[in-house]
Amino acid sequence: MIAFLELLIGGFGVLTLVYIALSLYSRSVRRGKLMAEWDAVGSGDRDVFVQQGLEEYDGSLRRKLILGVYVVPILLMGMIIYLVNFY
Amino acid sequence: MVYVKWVFILLFWGFVGSVLHYTLPQHDIVRVSDTYGKRVDPGANSWFWAQADAGTDVTMGSRDVFFIQTRRAGDDVMVYRNEDTGWGWPPYFKFDTANLQAEASDLRSTAADPQWAMLTHYGWRNEFFSIYPNAIAIRAVDGPDVTIIPWVNIIILTLLAAFFWAIWSRWRRFKRNRINPVLADMSEGLEAAGDSLAEKRGRFGRWLNGR
Repeated sequence: MIAFLELLIGGFGVLTLVYIALSLYSRSVRRGKLMAEWDAVGSGDRDVFVQQGLEEYDGSLRRKLILGVYVVPILLMGMIIYLVNFY
Repeated sequence: MVYVKWVFILLFWGFVGSVLHYTLPQHDIVRVSDTYGKRVDPGANSWFWAQADAGTDVTMGSRDVFFIQTRRAGDDVMVYRNEDTGWGWPPYFKFDTANLQAEASDLRSTAADPQWAMLTHYGWRNEFFSIYPNAIAIRAVDGPDVTIIPWVNIIILTLLAAFFWAIWSRWRRFKRNRINPVLADMSEGLEAAGDSLAEKRGRFGRWLNGR
């Protein structure tokens, strides 16, 4: 039981670090793309354009897909448990 | 100095390679000759033994461990231990140790009338440290020369390579765009480097100031 809790808590900690890092990275990539887009065809204030684009991104499905960082390892673990023990 | 660099590179890749070789599943074609249980007190070699069965008292020093004695297709002898990996490392999540022992016992055969089986395992056998590979699964096969394609290893190694290549290429890009320019400025003078840093920090600074 203790081993299971260790795995659960340790795994949650590591995955949270991955989630935060990936979120920040993905946001910075999006910011870079928005800047490039404004440079190519933009008009008006550059900062406002980028800010609006990022707010749009915050509500998008793409952003929520990063939650897969938690979902995929759990599914993988379930699959391994099934294949090793019951298949 | 060139040699020192190469020693570190070799040590690094040797370590990565041996961790993978120890941890990834491998398939042996074996003929099970017998199975037994033996009391074990892991000492200096305890890294290479798993813990007590999931759910049982893990604080006891010694415990009984299942073993599977086999003769491999190449005619050499191999003894496997059969232990739960439970929720620990390596992540096989193996809990069916007793069932596996029952299956292995069921496949026992003699040299005169061999019943071949494919045994999946991880780990190493080393006589000097008394360590044994851990059996994961066993199933009967037709003969000693069946072809096995290690799909799991192919998938895992491909994904690992893709993952580290992705990180490595991003790191190189980051270094080229953000670190090298600053280093180049530094060689032109500390004042110039300061200016460049101030410019690069502009966005972060604005964020700090509440924009």
